[in-house]
Amino acid sequence: MPLDRRGFLALTGAFLATPALAADRADLCRTALLDWYRLVLELVRHTATYSPPVAARAFAYVGIIAHESHVGLIPGPVTLAGQLNGLTALPAPAPGLDPAAVLDAALGKAMADYFGNTGPSGQGAMQAMVRRLAERIDADLPPELAAKSRAHGVAIADHVWNWSLSDGGAVVENLGFPYDYTFGENPKDWVPTSDIRIQQAPLLPNWGANRPFAMPSTAACTIPAHPDFSTEPGSAFHAAAMEVYEVSKSLTAEQIEIARFWSDDPMLSPTPPGHWVSIVLQIAERDRMPAERTAAALAVLGVAIADGFIGCWAEKYRWNLVRPVTYIKRYIDPNWETLLITPPFPEYPSGHSVQSGAAAVALTAFFGEDFAFEDATHADDGLAVRRFASFHEAAEEAAISRLYGGIHYRFGNEQGLVQGRCIGAHAARLKTFA
Amino acid sequence: MRAALRLAAPLLCVLTPAWAEPAVPVFTEETATAGLDTVYQGDWDYMVGGGVATFDCSGDGFPEVFLSGGAGPSALYLNRSHRGGALAFEKTDAVTLDAVLGAYPLDIDSDGVMDLVLLRQGENRLLRGLGDCRFEPANAAWGFDGGDAWSTAFAAIWETGQTWPTLAIGNYIDRKEEAFPWGSCTDNWLHRPEGNRFAAPIPLTPSFCALSMLFTDWNRSGHPSLRVSNDREYYKGGQEQMWHLEPGQPPRLYTEAEDGWKRLRIWGMGIASADVNLDGYPDYFLTSMADNKLQVLKDPASGKPDFADIAFKSGATAHKPYTGGDVKPSTAWHPQFADVNNDGVQDLFVAKGNVARMPDFAMNDPNNLLLGQPDGTFVEAGDRAGVASMGIARGAQVVDLNLDGKLDLVVVNRWTKAEVWRQTSEDLGGWVQVRLSQEGPNRDGIGAVIEIRRGDRVERHEITSGGGHVSGSVGWLHFGLGAAQSAEVRVIWPGGAEGKWQTLPAGSFTILKPDGAARVWVPG
Repeated sequence: MPLDRRGFLALTGAFLATPALAADRADLCRTALLDWYRLVLELVRHTATYSPPVAARAFAYVGIIAHESHVGLIPGPVTLAGQLNGLTALPAPAPGLDPAAVLDAALGKAMADYFGNTGPSGQGAMQAMVRRLAERIDADLPPELAAKSRAHGVAIADHVWNWSLSDGGAVVENLGFPYDYTFGENPKDWVPTSDIRIQQAPLLPNWGANRPFAMPSTAACTIPAHPDFSTEPGSAFHAAAMEVYEVSKSLTAEQIEIARFWSDDPMLSPTPPGHWVSIVLQIAERDRMPAERTAAALAVLGVAIADGFIGCWAEKYRWNLVRPVTYIKRYIDPNWETLLITPPFPEYPSGHSVQSGAAAVALTAFFGEDFAFEDATHADDGLAVRRFASFHEAAEEAAISRLYGGIHYRFGNEQGLVQGRCIGAHAARLKTFA
Repeated sequence: MRAALRLAAPLLCVLTPAWAEPAVPVFTEETATAGLDTVYQGDWDYMVGGGVATFDCSGDGFPEVFLSGGAGPSALYLNRSHRGGALAFEKTDAVTLDAVLGAYPLDIDSDGVMDLVLLRQGENRLLRGLGDCRFEPANAAWGFDGGDAWSTAFAAIWETGQTWPTLAIGNYIDRKEEAFPWGSCTDNWLHRPEGNRFAAPIPLTPSFCALSMLFTDWNRSGHPSLRVSNDREYYKGGQEQMWHLEPGQPPRLYTEAEDGWKRLRIWGMGIASADVNLDGYPDYFLTSMADNKLQVLKDPASGKPDFADIAFKSGATAHKPYTGGDVKPSTAWHPQFADVNNDGVQDLFVAKGNVARMPDFAMNDPNNLLLGQPDGTFVEAGDRAGVASMGIARGAQVVDLNLDGKLDLVVVNRWTKAEVWRQTSEDLGGWVQVRLSQEGPNRDGIGAVIEIRRGDRVERHEITSGGGHVSGSVGWLHFGLGAAQSAEVRVIWPGGAEGKWQTLPAGSFTILKPDGAARVWVPG
C-alpha cells in the first residue's frame, strides 16, 4: 500500500475496526510502529525547526527508542548501549510486560519529546494518536500490566532523551540560522544564494561538531579537496560549473522528474532523511515485516543518516565552497536559474548524496544486496512511483539528481557518495539481533 | 578583515536614503473608549480567520465596522464618530452570527444598499442589505449554496456582460480531519451568476487550502484572473495558484507548461496589491511565516506571469519582530497597501501574530507599518507610529473611520478584543478621497482602475473586492497628495471605458461617475 494519506487512514480505520480479542499482539506492535512513524514523517514536514540535519537526528533517536523497546521483551533484539557513542545501559524490563504497550508508550513519549515544538495541528494529531492506539492496545490488558508496560516504555524514551541532550544538537534557534556569522572573503567561499532574509547566514554551521552516533568521530570519514577553484575556462572547476549549466539547458523530462523526486525540500516533504525512512516503511508494509525487525532497520538507518549529516556538515564548513548558482551567475550567465531551490549552506559535498550513500550501505547490510523496491514517497504530492533494483541504485540516483537540479557540481555528488558509504559502514556494523 | 554579518542589524543599503525619511504618522489607540468589544474566539478550528469588514450601511458616509467573532458572536458596530473626532461605535444586534471567520461587503444585487458576505465554519451566508444597517438572509433568494466547509478566502468580480457578480470562496482543511489534517484541503468554489442569482458552485480543483484570493487584471488584459494564496502547511503537491477566467469559459489554471507560471510554495495567508514599482502593473505582497513576498512582474511585455520577489531588496520582508525583544521569525496575516502618511507613496500595513503557541515563532510579534519611500523601498515605523501591538493579530482594515483624511486602523486579534487606532498626526500631506458610482450592475465599480497623474507619472490603482486576510472594505478610496494642492484623477471603468481627467482639490470627497460627473460630498 502506498505511503499516502489514504493509506494511513485506511490502515488506521482497519486497525480500529479489528475486534480486540482477535487482535494479535505482534500485529498491534507492527501497527503501532508504522502508525507512529507515519505521523513522524508528517511532523518532520510540518515542524519548522526540522531541516534535514535536525530531522536525521530525530529519526536516529526515535529509531533507537523503537528498537530498544523490544530488547529483553522478545527473543532476538540486542541493545545498542555500548555500541553507540555515550549510550549507557537502558532500563531492563520486568518479566511479562506487553511489547505493544511498551512500544506505543515509548514512541508516544518520544513524539512529545522530539516534536514538542510542532504546531497546533501536529499537537492535535499526536494527542489523537495517543488516544486511539492506547484505547486498542490496552483493551485486552489488565490495567496493572498496561500501566507497568507503559512505564517501561516511557523509561526507555526518557533514557534516550537524556542521552540526546548532550549531543550538541538539542537546541535549534532561529530555525537553525545563526544570528551572527563570519563569512569567508575568497571568491571560492560560500555566499547566500537566496533573497530570503532569514537565510542570509548558512544553516547550522556548527552541526559537524555534534557527537556522532556510530562513527568514532568525523575524522573517520573525510573527503579529499575539491578541484581548485578557478574562473579560467578549461579549468576543472570551470568545467564542473559548465556541466551544471549545460545540463540545465537540456534537461529531459525524466531528469526533471528525478530532480524533483529527490528534491525533498524541508517543510514541503519529509526531508531527504525522511525519504529514506519512508522507503523502509514501504518495504515493511510490503513484506509485512515484524515490528522488531522494522524497528531495528529504522534504528540502523537513523544512525547512518544522522551520522551522515554530522560528517557532511563537518566537511561542508571545512571546504565552505560556493554553490553553482553563485559561480554561474558571476562568471557564466547572470540570468541563469536553477530547477531546484538552492539550499542555504555550502556546496561541498552534497548532503543528500552523503546521507543516501550512508543509507544505502546500512540498508544493504540489513536487507541484502540487490534488494529491489518501489518508492511512492511522494505519491500524495503527485510524483510518480519510482522503482530501484537496489539501495545503491537509489542512492546514486539521489546523488545525480542534485546535478539535474542545478544545486551541486558532479564532484560534490560523487564525493558525497564516497563519504556516505564510509559513514554508513559504521552504522552497518551495529549489532541489533543476537 | 573578514566580512561579518550581524543579522539583527538593519540593511544599510535599504535604510540609508538619499532623501528625508518619510513622515511617521501618529496613531492613538482608542480601543478602550471606541466601543468595539468583540473577541475572535475559538480553538483549532479558528486558528485562521478573524476578519473585519468596513462599509457604510447607515447612509452617513462614515464606515461601519463588522467584526467576526469566530466561535463567539460576530457584531456590527454603527459608526458614531464625528469628523476628525474620537472614534465611537455603537454595537448592534444586526448580524450576531456565530462561526464567522471573515466578512466582505459587496453590493451583490446592485440596488445601492450594501450587502455582506460572511465566511463561516459551516454554511457561508449572503446577507442582503435592507437599508439602515438591517440585513436579511439571502442564500435562498439568490440561489447561493453556502456549502459546509471551513471557508477562509473570498474575492468578487463582475465578469464581462454579467449583471451579477462572480464570487470565489476559498476553503481550508477538512475540519473533521483533526487527527490527520495534512493533505485534506477541500475544494474552493466559484459561484458564477445565472441571471440575477447564482448557479451551482464550480469546484476549483485542485485546491490547496486557500487563505486569500483576489481577482486582479495582472496583465492588463481586461479579463481579471483569480490569484489564490495557499497555506503549504496542509497541502500536498500544492503551490500558489492563478486561474484564467474568460467569459463563458470554465476556469482554467495557469500552468508552468502552458503559461509560464512559476511554482511558489509558501504559508500563504494574505494578498495585497498595488503598483509599487510604478510600471503600470499591479504588484502583490503575499504574507507568510518568516519572510513575506513582494512580487513584481519580471517582464510585462512577455505576457508571462513570471514574478520576481523584491521583498528583500525593498526592505519589505517583515520576517521577524523589529521591536519588543523577540527575535524569532514572524507570522504575518492581513496585508494592506495604503498611504498612511499622505505623502503620495504607498505604505504597507501587516497584521502579525503567532498561529497559537508555536514556540519557534515569535510570540511577541508586532504589527508592521512599512512606510514607502520614493525609490520603492520601505522603512519600518510601526513602533514609532504607535501600532506595534503584540496582540495575536489576524484580519485588519486601514480605513478613514472619522473622515478626516487620515487613515485609521482596526485590527482583529485572536482571543482578545479587536484594537482600534485613530490617526492623530498633524502636518501630514494632503489627500483626496473618491467613491465610484455607476448605475446598473456593479455600482461600486469593482474591477475599475483609478489613475492619478503626478507630474509626468501616471499611477494605476486597481479597485478590488477580496484579498487581505478575510477582511475587506467598500467605501471612500483614499489617496495621499504630499504637498500637492490637487489631484489629477481619471477612472478606467470596468469594461474599459476611460473617464476624463479631472482635477480634485486636496481635502475633498468626490463621487465619480462614468458620464464624467463628479459630485463633491461633505461629511456631516
